Amino acid sequence: MALMDALPLQSARWRPWQPNPVLLCLAVAMLATLAGLDVVSVAPNRIAAPTGYSLWGATGIPGAALALLLLGAMTGLAAYPGRYRYPALLTVSGLLLALIPFAMMLAAFRLIEPGVAQARLGIGPALWVLLFMLMLCLVELRLRMQLARGWLLLMLLPIVGVWWLCAAFWLDRLALVQEFQARHDAFYRALVEHLALVGIAVTLSTVLGVAIAMLIRRFAAGRTTAFAILNFFQTIPSLALFGLLLAPLAWLSARFDALAAIGVQGIGWTPALIALVAYSLLPMVRNTHVALEAVSPAALDAARGMGMRPAQRFLLVRLPLALPILLEGLRITTVQAIGLTAVAALIGAGGLGTLIFQGLGQSAMSMVLLGALPIIVMAFVADTALGTLAARLRHGDSTRQGDRA
Amino acid sequence: MIELRNVSKDFGDVQAVDDISFSVPRGKFCALVGASGCGKSSTLRMINRLTEQSRGDILLDDQAIQDYDPVKLRRRIGYAIQETGLFPHWNVMRNIATVPKLLKWPATRVHQRVEELMHFLHLPVAEFAHKYPGELSGGQAQRVGVARALAADPDILLMDEPFGALDPITRGQLQTMLARLQARLHKTVVLVTHDMDEALRLADHLVVMREGAIVQQGSPLALLQKPANDYVDSLLGGLERGLKQAALTRVRDHMAPLGPTLPAQSRVPDGYTLRQTLSVMLRDHSERVTVVDTNDMPVGELSLRKLVKEAHTREGEAHES
Repeated sequence: MALMDALPLQSARWRPWQPNPVLLCLAVAMLATLAGLDVVSVAPNRIAAPTGYSLWGATGIPGAALALLLLGAMTGLAAYPGRYRYPALLTVSGLLLALIPFAMMLAAFRLIEPGVAQARLGIGPALWVLLFMLMLCLVELRLRMQLARGWLLLMLLPIVGVWWLCAAFWLDRLALVQEFQARHDAFYRALVEHLALVGIAVTLSTVLGVAIAMLIRRFAAGRTTAFAILNFFQTIPSLALFGLLLAPLAWLSARFDALAAIGVQGIGWTPALIALVAYSLLPMVRNTHVALEAVSPAALDAARGMGMRPAQRFLLVRLPLALPILLEGLRITTVQAIGLTAVAALIGAGGLGTLIFQGLGQSAMSMVLLGALPIIVMAFVADTALGTLAARLRHGDSTRQGDRA
Repeated sequence: MIELRNVSKDFGDVQAVDDISFSVPRGKFCALVGASGCGKSSTLRMINRLTEQSRGDILLDDQAIQDYDPVKLRRRIGYAIQETGLFPHWNVMRNIATVPKLLKWPATRVHQRVEELMHFLHLPVAEFAHKYPGELSGGQAQRVGVARALAADPDILLMDEPFGALDPITRGQLQTMLARLQARLHKTVVLVTHDMDEALRLADHLVVMREGAIVQQGSPLALLQKPANDYVDSLLGGLERGLKQAALTRVRDHMAPLGPTLPAQSRVPDGYTLRQTLSVMLRDHSERVTVVDTNDMPVGELSLRKLVKEAHTREGEAHES
């Protein structure tokens, strides 16, 4: 037996075909994307039709060769196993992400003549696909390497830093950057409006949602009715709900001066806020209700038997045990509200949606992006932050106690 | 001292507890035994007012429990349940500290008490203090549950099938632990169990319940000697009853002085039960054993013939009483 152990195993010398199918497909797809789609586009001014350029055309031999090299390495690493396969793949993915702005700088340098002040560089379809696929790669790598979500974010931070640095100082030819520089006041105002609307709507619906959930617990008979009403709100399309609120609010504001004085009117932030809260209530109430009901009866019985008063039972036992599921509701509500607020711009509520709809009206894609990208980032950040918080709080809850309930 | 007088409990149309009376003197261990659904848990939960009785009186130190504030009452009564009911978001230390903190003990005193209890229940502080209930085995969790029930040093301890969900080995260990605990602390304990052996092993007083009513109550030996009916007899193990009774009797209480005959070869310590002694006799094919003290000095002897005869007379006495 000892002799057998001493012999080198055959597989140690000869590597079998053991690909990671996900990463292999992604790497090949990225190669195909770069070969087939346009990487950047150049337009002589803001609204003129842009001309697309392939990677070869945009960055010339050095850019194309570097991309081919990195993606080739990625394909190879994904296809054959090795001890450092996943860390190496992570490095290559990060490198690709960090190099994208430099490729754009190179393209701007090669394709745009310094004299043409209005000319601008657009991000082509290939780059969007590449970004999306690299994100998928990171997700897969995170799962394979069993990294905590926080570590991945920490790794993304320097890459985002590189992007920001490039955008702030050297990428002034990029349409998105030009759009931002042209209207950064409007952008910041829209951002603040957006955040304020989401913040107020989520706060209100949390307070209301928890209150309704507790009322439902007390008056069990009202449960079906309450959920039916909340479900009904959820089924109305958001635009229709904004429209439906227009008439009654306009009437109210005309009828009562006090309401008009605080800014209630048919269009603007009032109907937006009401609609946002109405939409947020269902996930909030449902999750709060489920969370409060899911608390282990044994723990509650023990709490009573130990001599906790009703308020102590709620604050010391029921609420903390319900918190993870409750936060899950808050997460869904917040992400949903961030997206819905964009639509609220249509009825004059302000927010980043304004930029999107203005951009659509002027067929200026970079302006649409200027509104859309921060919304995506906000939703992503809210989702991650609240998800992580919920997971942390769940720590003590992953027990037989909880499972038995 | 806990006393129940003609207590009944109705849940809607169902009478869960039907006119029961019993009392537990201070420092005694009482077990409520019966099949599930016989009303024993309801009875227990009436004592700390988790449910209110429909009729009858429950007295605590000769005072009706309705005269006490329920919250204050519960804080001076330890309470442990089968599901442990440990708070999953609190670590072991915080769980044990529940009642002392509710009673607003100073932090240092709480800390001292918790460590004392953990030591007492063989839960090494360094290892367990910061573990969460989810990280404990069933036996460890139940020990934390008992520690929590004892935390504020209550006179009374109520336990609802505390070891019901554990494997037989762990259950045995915890029963031993509880017996040792009771020998030292002399709490007034009411234990609900469906396990007759557990009740026989731990309790001074047994209350056998069936369909809400008391079938029989008395000391373990009294029940074993004279079960009131077939139901109690079957709970006590039917044909095994003699052995169970033997398991509750020490050999030192039944040995005869050393006689003129040669001492028997088989030796048993005087702390053994009659059941263990019988086992030794069967093993050694010997009708006689020599009883020795802790220093291995013979102090008496016991023969099978005397044992059988004595059991017979005891049975007779029980019949007469």
